[in-house]
Order: sequence, then structure tokens, then C-alpha cells
Amino acid sequence: MAIKEKRDKKFKRVSARRCRFTRLGVEFVDWKDTGTLQRLCTGQGKILGRKRSGSCAGFQRRVSLAIKRARYMGLMPYVGS
Amino acid sequence: MHPYEGMFLVDPTLHAADSEAVETTVKSLLEKHGAKIQKFERWDERKLAFEIKGHKRGVYLLVYFEMPGENVDAMRRETRIIETILRQMVIRLDEDIDTYLVKSAAYYETMKVEAEARRNRREEQDGFGGRDAPRAPYGSSAPGGEY
Repeated sequence: MAIKEKRDKKFKRVSARRCRFTRLGVEFVDWKDTGTLQRLCTGQGKILGRKRSGSCAGFQRRVSLAIKRARYMGLMPYVGS
Repeated sequence: MHPYEGMFLVDPTLHAADSEAVETTVKSLLEKHGAKIQKFERWDERKLAFEIKGHKRGVYLLVYFEMPGENVDAMRRETRIIETILRQMVIRLDEDIDTYLVKSAAYYETMKVEAEARRNRREEQDGFGGRDAPRAPYGSSAPGGEY
């Protein structure tokens, strides 16, 4: 019983979450903000998919563009850690 | 004249030797193409995510300027000739520079608040049986205490 409750709680929390950027009410994603962009990448530097990151369509596009810009400037890795 | 955000990655060794000279190269390049520099910022030498033109470290110069749009391509082409500039990124801004800077400051403020909130959340979660979890004073929850 306890396990089921715990699982339900966890599930609810995940499903209740919305796109983090719309939740915060920001208008854009800054490509110089590597701290935030790093959280949207895997340890290997791959961009997290929409399902993983929870971003809405508009922000997922902005995030991917921002990451690609940051990569070009050497702020973030293309590959590896 | 349109507002632009430009970032220039410059050679850290040359910048360390004579930062003034390196910065004026970038400034004069922009001014030569009719730019009006509004803000000039330097990011201290940092490690690059990967090697660029044989450099593992680099200095970033972040410039906000207004420039006639037809000169941008020529300016970017010229950066390839200047050896001090390793890479460049010029982005046209949707709004004028002052509004952008205000928005950017607000953006970083919300991100800072969010990071703080995230840290607190994590502490709460880790607090469950974690080593650093606050503990009830010894003996207060002694078994059988209710009886």
C-alpha cells in the first residue's frame, strides 16, 4: 500500500509539471545562459527531447537554437563531457 | 541601423599580453563598418568546451551595437582575416538595445530565483533520510514513549 501511494504521488507530481519556461513566464531563452541550457542536455551534451525536458513546442525550438549557438561559440560541448 | 548583439571569441594569449590592443581591434572593426557601440563587456578567460583553432581557453567580448544591416556580412567576413578573433556570433535583436538589456536582466533574475527554488526543493527531498537531514533531538522519539 505504502509503495502504491508513493508511486501515485510521484506520478502526479510529474504529470502536473508544465513547460518550465512558460511556468516562469520568460519571453526567450538566452543562448549565453549555459547554466540553464546545461540542464536541458544529457551528460554527453545531447539536447533533451521534449518529453524529457517537458518544454512546450515554442520553447523547445528556442532551446535547441540557443544550445546550437552556445555550441558554436564553444560555451557548450557538441559531444562528450 | 539595426540593433545587434555580437560575441567575439579572442585569442587569450594575445589578450593577456595586451588587452587594450585586442579590444580596440574589435571596436575599430565595428566602427569601421559604421557601428555605434552601446555596450562593451568582457568575459574573463575561461575554458572552452572544445578546442577552437588550437586554443583550449578563450576570452569572450560581448558587444551591443547598432549597425547598418548591409555592412554586417562584410564585417563578419573581415573577422576571418583578423587572427585575434577566433570565432564570432552576431545576432540581430528584435528590440532596441536598452529594452533588450532590461529584459535580459529580468531573465537572469528569474533564472536565479528558479535555481534557488530548485536547490531548496532538492534539499527537502534529500532531507528524507539524508546525512544532512535535520534530526530530532536524541531521545525525543524514543520507542514506546507514548505509553
